[in-house]
Amino acid sequence: MEYQDEGRDRRITQLRKGILELAVMGVLYHERHYGYSLVRVLCERGSISLKEGTIYPILARLDRDGLVGSGWVESDQGPPRKYYTLTASGRQLFDELSRDFDSLVSLVQRKWNAPEQPEAVGKKLAVRKG
Amino acid sequence: MNNYPEVVAKIAHDYLERLKAQLQLVPVRERIEFLREIESHLYEAYQQTPGEDDVARILAVLRNLGEPAEVVSDRLPGTMVRSGTKRNVPLFVVGGILIALFGIPLGFGGLGVLVGILGALAGMLVAFYAVAGSVLLVGALFMLMGLTRVLAPNMFDKLVAAGFIQFDGPPAQFLDQFTPSEQGLFMILFASLLVAGGFGMLRLGKYLLRGLRFLFSLLFDKTRRLAQGLRRKLHPQNREAPGSQARQPADGQSAVV
Repeated sequence: MEYQDEGRDRRITQLRKGILELAVMGVLYHERHYGYSLVRVLCERGSISLKEGTIYPILARLDRDGLVGSGWVESDQGPPRKYYTLTASGRQLFDELSRDFDSLVSLVQRKWNAPEQPEAVGKKLAVRKG
Repeated sequence: MNNYPEVVAKIAHDYLERLKAQLQLVPVRERIEFLREIESHLYEAYQQTPGEDDVARILAVLRNLGEPAEVVSDRLPGTMVRSGTKRNVPLFVVGGILIALFGIPLGFGGLGVLVGILGALAGMLVAFYAVAGSVLLVGALFMLMGLTRVLAPNMFDKLVAAGFIQFDGPPAQFLDQFTPSEQGLFMILFASLLVAGGFGMLRLGKYLLRGLRFLFSLLFDKTRRLAQGLRRKLHPQNREAPGSQARQPADGQSAVV
């Protein structure tokens, strides 16, 4: 079967972008950040490398959907910084998404050919539409 | 505010201009906000990037940030859906019809036809601007004539006698019924209408230009993707080239986004 590089790249990008959005919410859950500091945290504390510009469309989307609040703060060291914090609805959504994410991770990592573990019984993944 | 060396400021400014060009379809307020944020990012990142060579530092910052097209790639569709749908949907429809009519049945020939149509549209746009410019020029001349007729009627008569101003036919017969001042006021009124029309055409032209630019960007974007796909197929090893532009994680587990 021919290996489809383009399709593979597109899928990897989609997967990572979705997860990156969740990671951004996770970082903003605990403390406020501006774009560059957020990038630093994700790169230094997390295990990802990213094109730094990717973060801004994500922040804009979250802002548009009311999941983060933003405000400009003057800086002594240069231009003003736009700080982001997770709103109450953002926190609520993050809690729900991270639960779903955990279920998805266990679903992906599960050894399907192994006998079913007793604790896994009854653990269901809620799949939302839209 | 930004204490960049001159050459760094120029490179940063150039990048922001390219970014701005990519954001033409984004509402002005959002565009300004986005550019301001990226400007802030550039400054922070530049200050944090070590090195002796200023140019190398700013170039490293820009590499890490990504090409303008990549930075806005996710942003455009959402913005278009939210605020530019009414303006852009007809263009999508026109693009779709053109592709359906020419692109699919004729293949590359259809692409040629499409390029021809875009060229013709560009020519029409140039002609449109030329007409708008002419209308403005005529308006300005009429304004000058009107003012001359009101403020210096004798000079106007001399100019008519010398043949510099030629007024014949029904307009001249109509104006002859009035005093010189009234004639001047009529000219000024007519000139105002022409100038207003000219500016109106320029304003309309801005929208036409934006629409045409969108059609061109559709074509060029498709061509660029096609070229990238071919390049990847021809040089698959480049995809794993060393010295990746993305910032590398500390623990070596790479997950480029």
